[in-house]
Amino acid sequence: MFARTAGLSPWKGGGFGMFSTTDDAGRRHVRVFVSAPERSEEIAISPSLEDAARRAAVWPTDAALSRLARRVVEREGRYRRPVDTVRIETWRIKYAPDTLAATTSLMRDFVYRVDETPAPRR
Amino acid sequence: MLTRLLRPADDADGVPDSVLTLTAIILLLRPLDVWWLAPFVLAAACLSLILRPVRRAPLTWVLVAVLVAIRIVYVWPLSDNHIYLLAYWCLAMGLALSGPIPAATLSASSRWLLGAAFAMAVLWKAVLSPDYVDGRFFRVTLLTDERFADASLVFGGLSRDQMAVNRKFLEPLPEGAELLEPPAFVEPPRLRAFSAIATWGGLVLEALVALLSLIPAEGRIQLARHASLLLFCATTYALAPVAGFGWLLATMGLAQCRPGQRTLRGAYAAVFILILLYSEIPWAGVLAGWAAR
Repeated sequence: MFARTAGLSPWKGGGFGMFSTTDDAGRRHVRVFVSAPERSEEIAISPSLEDAARRAAVWPTDAALSRLARRVVEREGRYRRPVDTVRIETWRIKYAPDTLAATTSLMRDFVYRVDETPAPRR
Repeated sequence: MLTRLLRPADDADGVPDSVLTLTAIILLLRPLDVWWLAPFVLAAACLSLILRPVRRAPLTWVLVAVLVAIRIVYVWPLSDNHIYLLAYWCLAMGLALSGPIPAATLSASSRWLLGAAFAMAVLWKAVLSPDYVDGRFFRVTLLTDERFADASLVFGGLSRDQMAVNRKFLEPLPEGAELLEPPAFVEPPRLRAFSAIATWGGLVLEALVALLSLIPAEGRIQLARHASLLLFCATTYALAPVAGFGWLLATMGLAQCRPGQRTLRGAYAAVFILILLYSEIPWAGVLAGWAAR
């Protein structure tokens, strides 16, 4: 049900959809952008963010994306880099039916404002 | 209640020791990957292999089910499907061993669990996933998933260079983008046939297992049920890189054998070993190496 309504990968969640679709964890990824006064950039997913990033990619719920965003804010804080907003894009790879031409498709665009309620864009 | 969970089930009740032993072996072969859970599951598996009262105590399997369930919650939603099935199965064993007719209860639980799991798998493949029945899933997976690469070289007739070119072709572009000169894509008829066989062979076999498991009949249906499950395990796990799933299915099939069905029991034990060999011997890689010489 969550795979049909909430973006959960059919491979996960115990619904026995593995080996049924190319929409697996390996073909999903997140891109993380941070911004603050005089700063706006995409950051790499460091090892300390990998677990939260994988969970958010497999099931991009507000809770999972907020958790990843909080980890990003904590990590940036450790390096004394300011963050006002964390924007997380969740992407998946799709293949055309006959040609198999591969494209990336945006699943979610999520904005987390530090010290504010997360505001999902779509 | 606690006394019932602690008391080992009698041999006379008929749950074969082999089912309990193989389940413990599965837990040892594929330990849980959460450090604060794995030692307890491994200890329970070891003790149940060494000590018969532990092996036949319902509490052992209820506890293992709880630990596996905790792992599912802890890593949510990243667990593979067979971890859920493992939790259900351990719970079913614990409940069956504490009941009045353990063997019959476990056999029925196994049949319904297999029927439900395979029915869900068929639903996904045949109805809910648009990229399965049109062949996309295996066409892409045979080329991009490293675990299937050797089989694609052997059975699909691809060279390693062609594989590399195809992987380049399958790298994604931004939505709506198109290359002026896209890289070549080589899909020999043998590879197309291999992906079609994997697609439809898998779906038909899974549908057969689901159907025959959900029909509560004995006699020929029961034999066909065993035959389809054994065939599924013997063929699928030669390629599918999830031996833990295969071992679990073989063990659950074994639990459905009646005491007199020695040949069937032997067949399930043989399939369990066969899946072990598939997972430990890189047979497709060896064949691909020979073919490349």
